[in-house]
Amino acid sequence: MSDSIRPAALKALLTAAASLRNPELDAWTSAGGRVIGYYCPFIPEELFLAGGFLPFRMRGTGSTDTDQADAFFDHLNCLVVGTGCDHLRRIYDNALHAPLEASFVYLLDHPRTMGSEEEGAEPIVRYYREQLSKLKEALENHFGVAVTVPALRAAISLCNETRRLQRRLYDLSVAPAPKVSASERAAVMMAGASMPKERYNALLSEALKELETAPETPGKALARLMIVGPAIEDPAFYEVFEEQGAAIVVDDTCFGARTVQALVDEEAPDPLTALAKYQVVDMPFCPKIGGSHAHRLRFIQEVVARYRVDGVIAQGYVSCDAWGCSYALLREAMQEAGIPYLRVEREYIHSESGQLSTRIQAFLETTGGRG
Amino acid sequence: MTLPAASQPADAYAQLKSEFGSMTAASFQGRMAEYVASGTPIVAGTDDFFPELFTAMEVPFYFVVRQGLELAFHVGKGPEAVDGYNELGGSSSLCSLQKAAAYLLMKGRLPKPSAIVMTSTSCDGQTAVNEMMANYAPWSDVPKMSFDASFEKDEASMEYLGKQWMRFIPLVEKATGRKFDLDRLKEVCEESNRQTRLLFDFQELRRAVPSPVRAEWGFLAYMAARWSGCGRPLATAWLQRLFDTTERRVRDGKGIDGVEEKIRYAWFDILPCWSDQLFPRLERELGAVNLMDLYGYSAPWPVIDTSTLETIFTSFAKRFLIGNPMTRQIFALSTVYGGDAVHIAKNFKCDAILMPSHVGHKDGAASHRVVHDLFREIGVPFLVVGCDVFDERYMTSDVVFNKIEAFFDTSGLRR
Repeated sequence: MSDSIRPAALKALLTAAASLRNPELDAWTSAGGRVIGYYCPFIPEELFLAGGFLPFRMRGTGSTDTDQADAFFDHLNCLVVGTGCDHLRRIYDNALHAPLEASFVYLLDHPRTMGSEEEGAEPIVRYYREQLSKLKEALENHFGVAVTVPALRAAISLCNETRRLQRRLYDLSVAPAPKVSASERAAVMMAGASMPKERYNALLSEALKELETAPETPGKALARLMIVGPAIEDPAFYEVFEEQGAAIVVDDTCFGARTVQALVDEEAPDPLTALAKYQVVDMPFCPKIGGSHAHRLRFIQEVVARYRVDGVIAQGYVSCDAWGCSYALLREAMQEAGIPYLRVEREYIHSESGQLSTRIQAFLETTGGRG
Repeated sequence: MTLPAASQPADAYAQLKSEFGSMTAASFQGRMAEYVASGTPIVAGTDDFFPELFTAMEVPFYFVVRQGLELAFHVGKGPEAVDGYNELGGSSSLCSLQKAAAYLLMKGRLPKPSAIVMTSTSCDGQTAVNEMMANYAPWSDVPKMSFDASFEKDEASMEYLGKQWMRFIPLVEKATGRKFDLDRLKEVCEESNRQTRLLFDFQELRRAVPSPVRAEWGFLAYMAARWSGCGRPLATAWLQRLFDTTERRVRDGKGIDGVEEKIRYAWFDILPCWSDQLFPRLERELGAVNLMDLYGYSAPWPVIDTSTLETIFTSFAKRFLIGNPMTRQIFALSTVYGGDAVHIAKNFKCDAILMPSHVGHKDGAASHRVVHDLFREIGVPFLVVGCDVFDERYMTSDVVFNKIEAFFDTSGLRR
């Protein structure tokens, strides 16, 4: 589909992801709505939705430096940071230290292992449930809101609906010629954590109806690739691959497919336990969680088969040890499985298109894409 | 009983260092080759979580990342191990010590353990090495347990970790054939309590002006109490002799032999592997004495409550999450590290604090602003160095010296 015939709903979603502020977010705050900024998909946004907040996943899309940071932070009433990795914990420290507008800055203690084989994850789920309960109480006390069980159930249901819709978005890439590009898909996924959820679901549902019934796109990508690693918050990163004729048909990233593979149990007697279990057990794991390599590898192998992936791109930030070290293991596994593999170590701010293009061209040779 | 000053041997510290060497040679770490040769079951761990348990059970234990020192940097093979790791395709910015340990692991150069204990601390790099170890194919048959450490430091969080750790005992018994004896563990813990008390007492002596000893003695004392001789009377006696010798020196108003102390500073991170090329030169050329390093600083070491097995393990959790230097630096708020540095600056009468900001410590890099502002409040000059404390190739000791010299000059500390 050319740009001119993209569904209007899709265009609205792309607009929401293109910058740090967007019309949907502005409309929410203009009406007096509260916004909670949070880092990392391990923090359940359902908890915030149940309290009447708009959860906003913190990102730096389009940033070329840090000048926009102050302006970005000024629409937040609250910032919640998880203890998942060294960087996140220091974000919390610096947020406390900096003169932020946010009146409430909270550090959520997040488990960093999957538990033992003998006892399973039950003690860890219980611990995380307690931490979520503390966060819930802190929100209630600070903002004078009530996060009730029915509200939690409704929020879980709403977010599960988002996940189902997003899965359908990924399904569009199973076809030989994907109907959405990776950069568009990434933007739509980011929009999901940047605007009111009901509005997002309505727009995505509408966009999907049109995309799913649109005629097959002619042609075929030179190679179908999977990209893994931490969050890619600038769709321009995907465009470098697309410019070389490759299609990133699926991913395992923090804004991507990892977040939609499982659903939170809507029937569980205790919604907080269901959320804790989803975060600690069900969601395919980030390598900052000890013991997660085998699970992550299984997920990657399943996805490689389902999406008929020709090669895997392992990307990560220079200073991210969790992902960086996991690639020594992933490289070994990909070599054993005979899957072409490329490691891309990069800075957070996307600025190395030229160099990256050259590496992608060379990599496409190894996948047979240029043959 | 303390000897009068006149009867002190002139080379009391040389004697202590020699004894420390013997103690280390007789430790689990020092005898590792012997254990491997005899097929003695060994436990590997990703930090010194509860050395008292291994002393009590007489089960040889090694701390995996420390092998990067013992088997690489201390024998001149650090750069080779670091470069070898880089070829494995892992994180280029990983701490060079962890790189060396990961390389030794992946190349089959670490003793194969009978059991492995891992905990999700202190830093991402450590968690990453844990994961490499857990997935190292030749060790796939080794029973292993991975525990979750809470970032919170309240009582419930300590019990959370302590109760998890207790579950390691049956695994050690099964994997090594050694029986666990609670009474013996209590004895070892009482000895360990005496050692940490001595660590603290020794530290108090180091407030004296001029400084009676170099920072390295704090590090050696830590090594004796936590690594080489934890819970062993031999190490307690050594610590007592170190205390007595230093107490006499303080009473006599003596500083470090041959050094005219002009500038007092603390190098508040791990002492570099290339210390010999930096600290003596700072003493010689600038009269600058390093009073303290990260491991030589005994912040609150909680006493082990030996009432029950549960209280013992909760105390181990407290020691690790509250007392362990690396945990305080990385697995706590910036204000904990900064607060310790401020405490040292004030109470040890430092003219300046150097934050080495080891490149592997990404958490440290993100703390600069917070820590810098703490120092601005108390008016003590503060320098971020930005070196690699293990691999000197990143920033040579000459460059580090020049930075420090310029800093002392511009701060008006050079006299």
